[in-house]
Amino acid sequence: MNDWNLAATLLLAVGAGAAVWGVSTGPLRRRVVAQNLSTSAVCPSLLLLAQGYDRPSYVDLALLLALLGPVGTLVFARLLSDELTDDPPRARGLTWAAAGLGAVTVVVLCAAVGPSRAMVKLLVIGALLIGGNVVASRALSGGFRGVRGG
Amino acid sequence: MSRRTRLWLVAVSGTGLAALLVAACLELPPFGGSSHPYGERAVRAALARHTANTIASVNFDQRAYDTLGEMSILFAAVLGCVVLLRQARDEHRARPEPAEVDLPVRRYALIVLPVAVVGGLYVIAHGQLSPGGGFQGGVVAATALHLLYLGADYRALERVRPVGLFEVADSLAVSAYLVLGLAGVLAGTAFLANTLLPYGTFNTLSSGGNVPLLNAAIGMEVACAVVVLLARFLDQAVEIEQGNGKDDKDDKDDKESEKENGKENGA
Amino acid sequence: MADAVIVVSLLLVAVTATAAVANRDPARQALVLSVLGLVLAVLFTVLQAPDVGLSQLAVGSALTPLLIMLSVRRVKRRGQPKDGGR
Repeated sequence: MNDWNLAATLLLAVGAGAAVWGVSTGPLRRRVVAQNLSTSAVCPSLLLLAQGYDRPSYVDLALLLALLGPVGTLVFARLLSDELTDDPPRARGLTWAAAGLGAVTVVVLCAAVGPSRAMVKLLVIGALLIGGNVVASRALSGGFRGVRGG
Repeated sequence: MSRRTRLWLVAVSGTGLAALLVAACLELPPFGGSSHPYGERAVRAALARHTANTIASVNFDQRAYDTLGEMSILFAAVLGCVVLLRQARDEHRARPEPAEVDLPVRRYALIVLPVAVVGGLYVIAHGQLSPGGGFQGGVVAATALHLLYLGADYRALERVRPVGLFEVADSLAVSAYLVLGLAGVLAGTAFLANTLLPYGTFNTLSSGGNVPLLNAAIGMEVACAVVVLLARFLDQAVEIEQGNGKDDKDDKDDKESEKENGKENGA
Repeated sequence: MADAVIVVSLLLVAVTATAAVANRDPARQALVLSVLGLVLAVLFTVLQAPDVGLSQLAVGSALTPLLIMLSVRRVKRRGQPKDGGR
């Protein structure tokens, strides 16, 4: 087991473990935040795993997750908007911490692969992941206030 | 059968099943061993036909017939949904209210929509080279379209998504898979045999003979099927309402017609 | 030691799947289910099956939650009085 895999294992155990705990207990506002943050814990660990196994094609998994994970959160933000408007989640600190985690992972991996097409792909994944999580977090805390049913 | 007998039956059959499973597990080869008789043969066959992703070779070449079965399952499932979730006689359509979505969310949806569609197409096109393929890419591209519903409103989605066209495209993709299979028969080999096209240069987009074509057919089929499926679900969740109202123009009409219905029912 | 990542993802899958069953409300179940999709995808990846992991990600992260939440909304609307439910 190399350092990349070790980092991915730790990230999964701590980040994804916390997300699972948060999503399965507590009030709804905590659960949706945990669902959103599960993306930002799992996507960097998939990137680390791809580097650890030395298989660049595994990066596609992280790309897909960075695209679709925030979309999944938007689904909940939109279709649970009635309940979330009454009791909006507040997770600014957590959101930015998760964004920082994604940014650090992407920067470290970029330094490891060097300037190439793989690096461009990593940067795209990082931008999609961080942007998606910040926007999804905003959507959860009142982005769909005007939606009634439609 | 009494409750007691049933419990006994469950207990006995459960114990038997558990015993058989444990016995089978004891005979399994050790986890992560080095002997993979099926894997080695599959990889050899995939390399012989210049397909870099062995999974794609198994799905669309060595076991293309299985994929035909899976595709028909999806097709039949979507067909069943279309039949079950149609507008019933005692239901009517109410136009959904326009939604006011926060500006950053709306912008995000409009930026990510094309990126996700391109991502889906990328996954489909590279199916024979890297992990992925028609199914995965098709689902991504179809899901991406629905960002319009999430980021704007249902009417925006309806404007860019003619369901009828997607239904036709779905059937066309299924037929394309069948025609590609039959072409093998016409050429004198077997149904779905990968002998029609040159195998191409290893690890390029056009390598693998039939594989990219079958892959593209599956991608189109899955994307269209998911769009049609979600259209039916969205119709039920957003538009179709109970009550025998006529197709109304706005909410006021809606309520009035419902009142009329109520009177009729009461009378 | 090399299998630690497999053990961690197996444990995560077991815990999340149990949590999905233990929750009673369909909306909350859908939330747990979407996280279950992610950890399953990780499990498939560490078992060197990225194609399956990719399928799981594509279906589990956005499509399944959308289908479940739309069904929940439909059922809820049916239970409500006519003009309040939209």
